[in-house]
Amino acid sequence: MSAKLLMKQVTKTYGDGDSTLSVLSNLNLQVNEGEFVAVLGPSGSGKSTFLSAAGALLTPTSGEIFIDGESLTNKDKGELTKLRLEKIGFMFQSAQLLPYLKVEEQLLYVARLAKLDTREAKQRAAYLLKRLEIWERRDRYPEQLSGGEKQRVAIARAWMNKPAILFADEPTASLDFNRGREVVRMIADEVKSEGKAAVMVTHDERMLEWCDRVLYLEEGHLIEKKSLVTVH
Amino acid sequence: MFLALREIRHSKARYMLILVILLLVSFLVLFVTGLARGLAYANISAIENMPSNYYVVQGDADHTFRRSQLNDAELKAARAVVGDKNATPLAVQMSTITAADADVKADITFFAVDMDGMLAPKVIQGEGISNESQGSVIVDQKLEQSGITIGSTIRDQASGMSWKVAGFVQDSSYSHTPVVFINNRDWQEMKQGVGQGAAEAQSVPYNVIALHADTGQVKEITGQLDNVEVITQKQAISSIPGYSAEQNSLLMMIVFLFVIAAFVLAVFFYVITIQKTSQFGILKAMGTKMSYLAWSVVGQVMILSVASLCISLLLTFGMNRALPESMPFQLDASTIILTSCLFVAMSLLGALISVAKVAKVDALEAIGRTGA
Ligand SMILES: Nc1ncnc2c1ncn2[C@@H]1O[C@H](COP(=O)(O)OP(=O)(O)O)[C@@H](O)[C@H]1O
Ligand SMILES: [Mg+2]
Repeated sequence: MSAKLLMKQVTKTYGDGDSTLSVLSNLNLQVNEGEFVAVLGPSGSGKSTFLSAAGALLTPTSGEIFIDGESLTNKDKGELTKLRLEKIGFMFQSAQLLPYLKVEEQLLYVARLAKLDTREAKQRAAYLLKRLEIWERRDRYPEQLSGGEKQRVAIARAWMNKPAILFADEPTASLDFNRGREVVRMIADEVKSEGKAAVMVTHDERMLEWCDRVLYLEEGHLIEKKSLVTVH
Repeated sequence: MFLALREIRHSKARYMLILVILLLVSFLVLFVTGLARGLAYANISAIENMPSNYYVVQGDADHTFRRSQLNDAELKAARAVVGDKNATPLAVQMSTITAADADVKADITFFAVDMDGMLAPKVIQGEGISNESQGSVIVDQKLEQSGITIGSTIRDQASGMSWKVAGFVQDSSYSHTPVVFINNRDWQEMKQGVGQGAAEAQSVPYNVIALHADTGQVKEITGQLDNVEVITQKQAISSIPGYSAEQNSLLMMIVFLFVIAAFVLAVFFYVITIQKTSQFGILKAMGTKMSYLAWSVVGQVMILSVASLCISLLLTFGMNRALPESMPFQLDASTIILTSCLFVAMSLLGALISVAKVAKVDALEAIGRTGA
């Protein structure tokens, strides 16, 4: 089993001088191929900070991070941008689709950035949109979609460039319970069928049904509590 | 351009608004430029159309033709350098004429020239006059609007002399007045008539010497003659009374229009860019390179400014046709190209503020934010 994400002794400290705040302290995590990991924690516990660091958006104060075996240390801005494009899929709170692109174009855009062949990109977009059951909506603008549909497009977009790992930042926050669960199930499905990995950050304990591992972010560390997973 | 074009497609109304504003500004720029060029031409076409490229003027004349006075000694010296054909005297005199058969009074400028030399008027209608003829003149065709035709008799108010109009020339204005060409013989008579008598009989002085020369020859002439200055055609034109003041105020308008164009575009785009800050954060988080985003912003501005420019060029040409003859308007290809390039360049300059703003957006903004 290969590690899609490896975090070693990662520390992130905000502020300087006498008022420093260590949001992450010596955090360790390994996520393997085919694994879907959930990270829970109350608001302000550092979930977004954790995800930004893992997703190559934020440089940690110390420690090392590897994505698909590649170290993020010593990479410049341009190299990190390239790595995010090729290795990482992002899902954000409330979809964050581009308002002026139609559903299919949302996927074709990231394919263009990665310089994918146009025909191949169209095929992959069609495949993903059909799998996520929004193929009929491919010519709609995001404003014409429901919240659940938008998040499904966001899932498809995140998987478009066949990333090594997907990071989802509270993907269910703007959805009702049933739609939220549906979205999480779809992320899990994609992880299994594509043989990739995913890390989802959430504060909603009811969304964990499909996750392989559940971790709690407490005082800058990740703690495993298998027993707490509730079955609906 | 993928994003730029699709964004325009999605927000048609918003971009149409910018397009219309840019269109109005660029139309105004082109129109005022054409008017400035037209006015300039209507002002000084007589000098602009002269084949000479340099003029010898008196050293203390401030480059102004009418203040300068030269005589045969200077002409001889100039001719010795550039050859007989390439130096010819020119006398200039502003006056007012009346016509015998029409109830008109018109301000005109007399040009006394050698009718065999390079300044000889190119007659487009009627007949030319020779150096020996007496009592005939060639006039600018604009006098036709005052009711003067070929065969009319015009009378100079100052000297009381009368001439018959033998022919018309085109585009010969000096300081906004039509030019009346007379030969040196009539010029002598006119000057001596109003002068103190027959004392200075042989030759009356003229104002300037028109040259067709190169820079080497110009240096030679200034070296040989004291108290003269050799000026270029451009200098001569800008010293024509009223010319600089008129052109400068029009130029100021044009410069302001360019600045306004850049400002309007800069502000519009900046506001739109600020609205899209979170979108740019998302785009960066997803792995869009900054250079791609910069081109996207610049591309949009390019599309809008070039499109508005094309439409306003069409409008300008249409307008030009609809304008009455009396409204001077002139746009040649080089002016259009220069103006167009400047307009697009100013638009792009305005877009740079937005590019700077986009560069400052952090990809981190994408995480942990709620929003559209
Ligand atoms: N840029 C920053 N500068 C200083 N403090 C920050 C910054 N970003 C986050 N924090 C602090 O770090 C802590 C964790 O924030 P965050 O990672 O957003 O938590 P969560 O996503 O779990 O709500 C919070 O106390 C927050 O105030
Ligand atoms: Mg958060």
